[in-house]
Amino acid sequence: MNGVPMAAYLLLGLVLFTIGVVGVVIRRSPIVIFMCIELMLNAVNLTTLAFARYLPQFVAGRERGHTAVAGEMIVIFIMAVAAAEVAVGLGIIMAIFRLRDSTDIDQMNVLRG
Amino acid sequence: MGDSDFSYVPWIVFTPLLGFLFQALLGKFLIDRLGARGRWFCGFAAVLVVAFPFLLGVAAAFKLAGMAPAMRGTMVTVAPWIDLVGFRAPLEFYVDPLSITMVLVVTGVGSLIHLYATGYMAEDADYPRFFTYMNLFIVAMLILVLAGNLPLLFVGWEGVGLCSYLLIGFWYKDHANAKAANKAFIFNRVGDLGFVLGLFLLFCVLARSAGSVPDGRFLSFDLIRVQLVNAIGANPGYATAIALLLFVGACGKSAQFPLYSWLPDAMAGPTPVSALIHAATMVTAGVFMLNRMYPVFQASPVAGGVIAAIGAFTALFAALIAFGQMDIKKVLAFSTVSQLGFMFVACGAGAYDAGMFHVVTHAFFKALLFLGAGAVIHAMAHNQDLRNYGGLRKYLPITFLTVMAGFLAIAGFPYLAGFASKEEILGSAIGNGAVVVRISGFVALFTAFLTAVYMARLAGLTFFGAERWRELPEPHAHEDQALPALMEDEPDPNRFYYTAAELAEREAHAAHADHHELGPEHKPHEAPLSMSIPLIALAIPSLLAGFILGGERLQNWLYPAGVKPGLLGWDAPPWLPWVSGAAALLGIAYGLRTYMKGLPADQGWDMGKWNPLRRLSADQFHYDAELMAGMSVGGRTVGLALSKGFDPLFVDGTVNATGYTAGALGLMLRKLQSGYVRFYALTMLIGVLAIVGYLLYASKGGASL
Repeated sequence: MNGVPMAAYLLLGLVLFTIGVVGVVIRRSPIVIFMCIELMLNAVNLTTLAFARYLPQFVAGRERGHTAVAGEMIVIFIMAVAAAEVAVGLGIIMAIFRLRDSTDIDQMNVLRG
Repeated sequence: MGDSDFSYVPWIVFTPLLGFLFQALLGKFLIDRLGARGRWFCGFAAVLVVAFPFLLGVAAAFKLAGMAPAMRGTMVTVAPWIDLVGFRAPLEFYVDPLSITMVLVVTGVGSLIHLYATGYMAEDADYPRFFTYMNLFIVAMLILVLAGNLPLLFVGWEGVGLCSYLLIGFWYKDHANAKAANKAFIFNRVGDLGFVLGLFLLFCVLARSAGSVPDGRFLSFDLIRVQLVNAIGANPGYATAIALLLFVGACGKSAQFPLYSWLPDAMAGPTPVSALIHAATMVTAGVFMLNRMYPVFQASPVAGGVIAAIGAFTALFAALIAFGQMDIKKVLAFSTVSQLGFMFVACGAGAYDAGMFHVVTHAFFKALLFLGAGAVIHAMAHNQDLRNYGGLRKYLPITFLTVMAGFLAIAGFPYLAGFASKEEILGSAIGNGAVVVRISGFVALFTAFLTAVYMARLAGLTFFGAERWRELPEPHAHEDQALPALMEDEPDPNRFYYTAAELAEREAHAAHADHHELGPEHKPHEAPLSMSIPLIALAIPSLLAGFILGGERLQNWLYPAGVKPGLLGWDAPPWLPWVSGAAALLGIAYGLRTYMKGLPADQGWDMGKWNPLRRLSADQFHYDAELMAGMSVGGRTVGLALSKGFDPLFVDGTVNATGYTAGALGLMLRKLQSGYVRFYALTMLIGVLAIVGYLLYASKGGASL
């Protein structure tokens, strides 16, 4: 389709996901970690869309007529969940910042064993 | 409605069950509402629900008698009960000459004793509770004798044990009675352990060949005989093991030697209970069970010898103890133990029908003797000591005549019931091939002589001689003599038992007129009609049962020739009737001559003047005391060892070790909970990489999941 192979989408998804993972593990600012999580989610969205577009024959429930937009629907769900998660997460971060005047993730360790 | 239609037989069990429910649910209510009329109605109902099954039993007996001997065995199935793949034990009743004979004894003697109890217990506050237990006992006993399979028989077996416990402890406020009830229950548990093990072994042996039984009912009595022959024929060792284990159960229930000593203590219960449960019916359940399972016992000569030897020893031992007893009911209790020993001698000799014969005749005359003793106790202000009696034949003519009939029957006066059945027992044992059994027979013959003497002692001291209670001091002058101290004087912390003081006060306040202390002014009075009718009704079969059932008539009824094969034959020596008759007459004559004159000087209140042997016999040759002491000391030692050794080391050790292990593990694992979110994320990443890596590796065919 348009001459772009599926592998290119998957490769882009892999790169985005890896950036997201590395960001979550090495950064200490919760805002940045959130952005990295968003990156990972969008990498997943991208690969899901690529599969839905290029490999429709593997969509589950195809024999019952679910072929058309199953992958696309999952992506929309993921976006909704990501938006909700950000809303809640940012609320938590604001609350912690008001409490401690800091958002360093390594200082949020009161639940250590 | 064919000729073999026995569909009414379950009502033999259900009728007393209805009576039990009636007494339990409505008895107290009726008596509270209607007073004396309610009492009368309760008693009437209690007798009726036992008498009606007797009529059903008579009908069944006539129907059986009209059938061909080979056809006399019908299984009446009521409902499914245990229903497993390969094994079924429905709720079923087996109607055959053996079960119907026992039904007739239980309901016939039972209804007479219920009638007697309406008079004997008339003033008891717990009148309906008494008949609740009595009717429940009849239900359990009928289940036991009518049961169509072994598991159901066991239900009845335990049921009669429960009722025995409840009725021995009927006057539970007196600590001694509660103790006696516990003793009976615990001794029976020991026996039941053996019985249950025997059942399990039998089940294992039979289950192996169960494939040949079409519907899995391989423990049912209509199929078990063929099964046993098949299963045991290959392994005679199994027969001995099963027979001995089942006999342990019979020892417990029928009070044989190692386990006998609960029965004398069971006399703490009301006298009708002693007559019904601890003389006529329940204690013969062991003999009945041996008859029911006779192919097992027949297959093992070893078990037969053991049974005969234990029976003979018990008979002799209990007869010797009876000489030292001064409580009229205790004498009868040891006499019961002794007579049960006779029955086991017969069963050990292979003459199961002779054992059953003695069960039947013994039920008549021993119930009669107990009821007569009850009438005497009733007349003598609830005093049970033979030393206080004497000369009562003037005051209690009916009781005297009937008890004399029972006494002559049990003593073996020629041609009376006891003579006829003992004759078969002695003949089968003395004519037996095995030496052990033959010796047991001679021991039993000697015991028959002793029986005549100690029963003459009981009759002589009670009915003849001087009126010894006239010599008693005025009542209340020396309570410890008239009323032996029944329990320790410590008040019960739960206020559950009476202390001795409270008990004395209760005795003193007992409202009815004849419940006063025995003193020189006491006037014995004959029992009411409800008590003398059963006495007369039981005296007749005590005299005549030998003629009716003897002469192999009962044998042909229970074990018809050619139908129940392989009963051991015996050749009774021709001199036996002469010798045993002479022994009985000699014993009666000697006993009466000694005791009709009055209380011998060496058996008075001062035990110090007693013959040392008789003192030993009064103390049961120390057997009971030593056993109880040994058991309690041994039990305490074991308990201490368990609580001081096993419990802290193993039980606590296991629990604590589990806790410590969990704690140590937690200490190690808490280091992982560092609190650094990024560390958790990294861990997750490593985990995901590991799983994905493994999946990739597996999908390449490197490994299979």
